[in-house]
Amino acid sequence: MSHYAMVIDLNTCVGCNACMAACAMENQTPVWDQHKWRTYVHDKEIGVGSDVQRRFFPRLCNHCGNPPCMTVCPTGATHKKANGIVMVDQGLCMGCQACAMACPYHARITVTHADIKEGKEFYGSDYRRTRPSVDKCSFCDHRVEQGLKPACVETCVGSSRMFGDLDDPNDPVAQMVASGAARPLMPHIGTRPNVYYIDDIRWRG
Amino acid sequence: MEVHMTYATQEIWTWWLAIYLYFGGLGAATLAVTFLTDMYLKPHRHLVIWGAGAGVVLLALGSLMLFSHLLDKMAVIHVLNPLIIFIKPDAWIAWGTQFIIWMMVWGVLYALPDVRETQFAKKTPLLKTLIHLSFVIRVAQWVQRHHKTVGWLAVVNGVGVAVYTGLLLQSFPAVALWDNPAVPLLFTVSAFSTAMAFLLLLMYTLITDRADDNIRMLYERIDLVLIAAELVILFSLYQYLKNGPESAMRSLELLWNDYGWLIGFIGFGLIVPFFLELKSVVRGWATRVPIIAASVMVLAGGYLLRHYFMYAGVYAYPW
Repeated sequence: MSHYAMVIDLNTCVGCNACMAACAMENQTPVWDQHKWRTYVHDKEIGVGSDVQRRFFPRLCNHCGNPPCMTVCPTGATHKKANGIVMVDQGLCMGCQACAMACPYHARITVTHADIKEGKEFYGSDYRRTRPSVDKCSFCDHRVEQGLKPACVETCVGSSRMFGDLDDPNDPVAQMVASGAARPLMPHIGTRPNVYYIDDIRWRG
Repeated sequence: MEVHMTYATQEIWTWWLAIYLYFGGLGAATLAVTFLTDMYLKPHRHLVIWGAGAGVVLLALGSLMLFSHLLDKMAVIHVLNPLIIFIKPDAWIAWGTQFIIWMMVWGVLYALPDVRETQFAKKTPLLKTLIHLSFVIRVAQWVQRHHKTVGWLAVVNGVGVAVYTGLLLQSFPAVALWDNPAVPLLFTVSAFSTAMAFLLLLMYTLITDRADDNIRMLYERIDLVLIAAELVILFSLYQYLKNGPESAMRSLELLWNDYGWLIGFIGFGLIVPFFLELKSVVRGWATRVPIIAASVMVLAGGYLLRHYFMYAGVYAYPW
């Protein structure tokens, strides 16, 4: 069985935001609301005086091994597939937003009745969403099932985003994680994330 | 992983969730206390009716707060299903919803024989017809035969609701203020303290029978102990936040630099009522005004606790 994970190399992210656009179009997210991205690239200036540099920090659902959003979900709408991908069943979700409160990675977004109405106009007859829910990244599960990579990975111009199978020892992603070069965010919380980051070399001194 | 952290509070569950937690704890604890009083201290029709009424009305209002903020209200049907605690045993909202529903059901049943005896029920047009239905009479007779069983079923579910309000917040691991064992304790003790205050307010204004003085005295003593326990838990929480992770220290700065928390909740919501009730227990008061004032302050403090707790939860984001 596969165990999917993503590695993001902060050294090669150029902040083009193509991942955000690709994700939005692929997953029909509410692009009319600037706070509702399944994946987002933070643009931060770090340093003082003339020694200031920009750092781009892509974030998304970490598809945790021990996802608190799934634990708190009262209806079972947030569930985990055997391949490690954490999904949301929009038919079961009542939108209490406990998952958004539980997520340490700010990865949940609300899709309301108003968003669905807007989505029908924006995306036209192809629009797939029928019920409101607290949405999240699905690692483009529908693409992965067809042997494709997630849209954000496919479009990443700097190859900053890499997607692979941790259960395959020959997979470069598995090797980067096993070597310790790629590390998870806030592992002390106990969420066991499946998104790993290669630290920006400029900040190591 | 070397990161540059960002610290942020949330705007998802705000004042309306604080009301849900407050009404939930207050209503459930009021029902539990009045039923226990009726079963083991002194049979008391008025207290039972007020307890069940407050429980049902406050829980209904609190639940309405959460319900009105759901994105898909139709999907609430999934948590109303009693089997949800087997489908999602790890989700406290699933347990909480069932506790609320069954507390209401057993609460109404427990109060039914008493309600049937009141002049209000006998004179109110629709209610008058209802209480004389043969089905209702049979249910009331069954409840009287199983008085304590029904009472305990309501009490257990009521205590479940009070504890649940804290366990819900404790299940969010990203926020140090919430994710610690002091929270369920604090919310449970606060729920019972506000219930005592509500009942004292009731028994010094509307149910003023002098024969109930022993109940008033007991409630005052219990509330005194509960306020003291709340202060001890708060002190422990303060020590944890002071030395805790950055998220905890930021929450501490938000709370203990806010006059609403410091003076409003701790000062007038706990310390002042503590001394007013202490004086009442030790030497007594010439009038009922100080205890009424103390009760109002404890009730206001109970809401302030939950309000500030919701707004002071700090998330630590690594970007």
